[in-house]
Amino acid sequence: MNNLMAWLEERFNISAATKFAAKKKVPVFYGTVWYYLGGVSLFLFIIQVFTGILLILYYRPGATTAFESVKFIITKVQFGWLIREIHSWSANLFIFFLFAHMFSVFFSKAYRKPRELTWYSGMFLLFMALGFGFSGYLLPWNELSYFATKVGTDIAGAVPGIGEFVLRLLRAGDDVSGATLSRFYGIHVAILPAIFTLILGLHLVMIQVQGMSVPPEQENLPAEKKKYMPFFPNFAMRDFLIWLIVLNVIALLAVFFPWDLGIKADPLSPAPAGIRPEWYFMFMFQTLKLIPAHVLFIEGELLGILAFAFGGIVWFLVPLLDRKAHQGKRSKFWTFFGIALIVYMIVLTIWGYLV
Amino acid sequence: MKRLTFLLFFLIGLNPVFPLQSDSRDACISCHITVDEDLDDGDKIMPHFYDDVHYEKGLSCADCHGGDPTAFDDEDAAMTDSDSFLGEVTRDMEPEVCGKCHSDPSYMRQYTAHVKTDQVEQYWTSMHGMRLKEGNDKVAVCTDCHGLHGIRAVSDTRSQVSDFNVPGTCSRCHSDAEYMAEFKIPTDQFAKYKTSVHGKALLERRDSAAPACNDCHGNHGAQPPNIAHISDICGTCHVNNMNLFQNSHIAEIFSKRQLGQCAGCHNYHDIAKPTDEFISWSDKSICRRCHKDNENAKELATGLYNIINNLKMQNSVAIDKVENAEQRGMEVSDLQYELEDVHQTLIQTRTAIHSFNTEYVQKVADKGFKAAEAAITGADNAITELLFRRKGLFVASLIISFLVIVVYLQIRSYEDKD
Amino acid sequence: MNKQTRKKFLDTLLGGGLIAWLGAIIYPVSRYLVPPRTPDINPDSLDVGKVSDFQTNSAKIVRFGRKPAIVVRDKNDTFHALTAVCTHLDCTVQYKSDTEQIWCACHNGIYDLQGNNISGPPPRPLTQFKINFKNGKIFISRENMA
Ligand code: HEM
Ligand code: FES
Repeated sequence: MNNLMAWLEERFNISAATKFAAKKKVPVFYGTVWYYLGGVSLFLFIIQVFTGILLILYYRPGATTAFESVKFIITKVQFGWLIREIHSWSANLFIFFLFAHMFSVFFSKAYRKPRELTWYSGMFLLFMALGFGFSGYLLPWNELSYFATKVGTDIAGAVPGIGEFVLRLLRAGDDVSGATLSRFYGIHVAILPAIFTLILGLHLVMIQVQGMSVPPEQENLPAEKKKYMPFFPNFAMRDFLIWLIVLNVIALLAVFFPWDLGIKADPLSPAPAGIRPEWYFMFMFQTLKLIPAHVLFIEGELLGILAFAFGGIVWFLVPLLDRKAHQGKRSKFWTFFGIALIVYMIVLTIWGYLV
Repeated sequence: MKRLTFLLFFLIGLNPVFPLQSDSRDACISCHITVDEDLDDGDKIMPHFYDDVHYEKGLSCADCHGGDPTAFDDEDAAMTDSDSFLGEVTRDMEPEVCGKCHSDPSYMRQYTAHVKTDQVEQYWTSMHGMRLKEGNDKVAVCTDCHGLHGIRAVSDTRSQVSDFNVPGTCSRCHSDAEYMAEFKIPTDQFAKYKTSVHGKALLERRDSAAPACNDCHGNHGAQPPNIAHISDICGTCHVNNMNLFQNSHIAEIFSKRQLGQCAGCHNYHDIAKPTDEFISWSDKSICRRCHKDNENAKELATGLYNIINNLKMQNSVAIDKVENAEQRGMEVSDLQYELEDVHQTLIQTRTAIHSFNTEYVQKVADKGFKAAEAAITGADNAITELLFRRKGLFVASLIISFLVIVVYLQIRSYEDKD
Repeated sequence: MNKQTRKKFLDTLLGGGLIAWLGAIIYPVSRYLVPPRTPDINPDSLDVGKVSDFQTNSAKIVRFGRKPAIVVRDKNDTFHALTAVCTHLDCTVQYKSDTEQIWCACHNGIYDLQGNNISGPPPRPLTQFKINFKNGKIFISRENMA
C-alpha cells in the first residue's frame, strides 16, 4: 500500500490532493444535516449509472422489442428484476433528493456570492434529471408511459411559433412512435449522461474549491463560536453511513413495492383512463389542467407554459435577484417565496392524485 | 369541350333538385302532391315515399298502382281510363303486385346480380300465406314487415326487418293477445325471447349474429319448425353440440319419446344461459325431470358434472394463484395464456357434455387440467421466487446493517479522541 | 480494551463488512451478466417449427405472445398464419381440412385462409401474420408495426 502511494506520488504529486482533502472541513451547526442531501443525490446518480449500464446489456429499443426486452429482463434474466427495480426506484428517489437538496440550499442562501455558478450548475443538473426521468419513463414502452409521453410532448407543442418544431424534434415525427423511442433512448443513455457527468463534475469542483457555505447568521458569528469537523474521515464516514441506509431502503422498496410493467403500448388503442405523468411532473400537469381554456385573449395552456417558463427563470436567477443575501442578510421575501413554492407544489401534486 | 364538362358537373352538382324534375315528369305525383298537402301529417304519403328504395331506384306510383303517369292534367286518362290502373292495392293483392317484379329474375337482375326471386313462392308456403289464401287478411303481408310507401332495403338499419328490428316487428302482431285470439297460438314468444340468451345477445349486446325470429322460423316461408328438426336449426350455429348429441345414446330415446332434441332440455324461445347444474343431480338438474331416481342416470350425470366441476375448481384455483402472484408484484402475464387455455377447454368440455359419454368428456377436459396445472406451477414458482427475493433481501439487509453499525462505531472511535 | 486494539478490531470488522457488502453486490450482478438459458425471446417473429413438421393440408395452433395463432399448410403447400382468436366471442379457431377453411366451433363461424370472415357470426376478419422461411424453419411475425 505504501509502496503504491510512493509510486503514485513520484508521478502525480498526489500528496497535494491528500493534503487538500485532509484540511477539508465541514461546519458543524444545526444545519449540518442538510449537507448530506447533495451526497445522497450523488450516490443515487452513481447507482443510476451503474444499473443503467447493466440494463443496456439486455434492453432493446424499438416499438416491437422494448416492452418485450424489459419483460425479458424482469422474468428471464437472473436478478434482472432487481436491477430494473433499483433503477426505477433510485430514479424516483434521485429526483426527490435533488429537490430536497435544492430547497435546503435555497433556504440557507448558499447561492449568494461567491457561489452563484454552483447554483446555476445545480439548476442545470435538476433540469437534466427531469429529462432523464421523462425520457426513461417511455423506455419500457407500456401503455401508461406511451400516453404520458404523448401528453407531455403535446404540451411542448402548444408553444406558439416554435412549438410545432419542438414537438417534431422530440417525437422524431408527428406522433409518438418507434422513432421517438430510439430518440428518447439516445437522449437517456448517451446525451444526458455525458452532459450530466460534465456539469456534475464542475458542480463538485466548485464545491471543493469554495468549501461548504453556511447561512448568513452562522457566517457572522465570531470565529471562536464556529465549530468544524474534518471531512476525512468524520464527515465522509457519515456520508457513507447514510448511503448504506439509502441503499438498504432501495433494496426494500425493490422487493416489496416493485414497479409494474403494465401492458404493452398500442398506438392504435384509445388512451386509457387515468394516464398521469411521473409524480414530479404532477404539479405542473395539474396546474395546466386547472387553468381555464382561455384566459382573456390567450390560450390557457400557453399561459401555463409561459408562467412556468417565467417561474423557472426567476428561480434560476435568484442569485441575481436576491440582493440582500449578498449583504449577508436574509430576505423575508425570498424565504416566503420558497415556502410558498413548496406548499404550491405539494398541494397541486396531492390534488393531481386525488382527482 | 371544357365548357361542356363543366356544364355536366354543374348539373350533377344540382342532384338534390333531381326529385323535383322527375316529379314534374310524373303525372301522379304532380297531382297527388297537392292532395297530400291537405292531409294530416300522419297520413301524408310523399314524405315517406321520397325515402323509399323503389323511389330511389326510379320507380314511381304507377309501377304498383298502375295508371298512366304521362297523362298530365287529365285525371281520367291518368287513372280510370288506363287499362293498367289498379287504384288501391288491397292486402290480399299485395303478394301478387309485389311479385310482379320481385318474382321475375330477368327484371330483378338489373338491380342486383344476386337475384332472389322466391319470396312470393315461399310466402305461399308459409302460415301467413296459407291463411291469406283462405281469405284471412289479418295475417302478415309484404308491407306489414317491409313498410308501406317508405320501404327500405333490408340492409338499411332503419328497415323494420333489419337485424335488430325483426323481433320487434314480429311481436307487433304475435304479442298482441287480442289480435291473435282467433288463431289460438301463444303470444308470449317475444316476452320469452327477450329473456333468452339469444334475445339478450341480439337486443342488449347488439350482436347482430345472434338469431332473431327469422333465423329459426324462416323469413318469407315462416313456419314453426318441426319439433323433431329443431336441432338441425340450432345446429346451424351450435354444430358440435348437435353432432355430439345426435351420435349419443340419448338421441334415439329422445326421438322415440318425441322430446325434441335441443329444446328438450334447453326449451325454445326462452332458452336460458345454461348452467353446469343442468347435469348435476341437484334440484336444478334437467336430467331428473325425467329420470327421477334412476341409478344409471345418476351415475352418468354426476360423472359428467364432476368433470366439469373439477375443471372449474382447478380453473379458479389457477386464477387465484396467478392473481395472487400478480398482486404481489410478480410478472406472470405469460400465465394468462395458460388460463385462457383452461377457459377454452372449459367451453369445449361443456360442449362435449352433449356426447353423454364420460370417457370422451374426460379426454376433452384433460387438456384443461394440464393447462391449469401449468398455470398453478407457474404461479407457485413465482411465489417461490418472491420468497427467495425476500430471503436475499434479508441477507443483504443483515450485511448492510452490520456495516452501518461498524461505521457508526468507527465514527464514535474518532470522535472519542478529541 | 485499549484504544489501539479497539481500533484494530474495528478496522477488521469494517474490512470484513465491506467485503461482505461487495459480495452482496457482486453476486447478483455477476449472475445478471450470465445470459439466461431460455433463448432470447424474439418478439418480432416466432419460430413455429420446421416446414417438415407440417403435413400438407394441416394446421398447428401456436402461442404467439399471449394469444394463440394458427399456422396452416394448405393443399398447395402454401403457408398461412392468422390469429386464432375468433372475432365473435374469442373462441380459439381450428382448421377444417375437408373444406380448407378456418372454423370456429363455438357458433360455426367460418373464415377463409386469408382470414376473411365468410360465414356465421364473426363480424371481422382474423389478422394475418407475415411468414418468413429461414433454414427450413417457419417464422411468423406481425405485419407493419411502427
Ligand atoms: C448513465 C446513466 C443512465 C443509463 C445508462 C440509463 C439507462 C436506462 C435504461 C437502459 C432504461 C430502460 C430499462 C428500464 O426501463 O428498466 C432506463 C430506464 C429508466 N431510467 Fe435510466 N439510465 C441512466 C440514468 C438515469 C437517471 C439519472 C435517471 C433519473 C432521473 C433515470 C431514470 C429512468 C427511468 C425513470 C426509467 C424507466 C424505468 C422503468 O419504468 O423501467 N435513468 N434507464
Ligand atoms: S365465438 Fe367464434 S363464432 Fe362465436
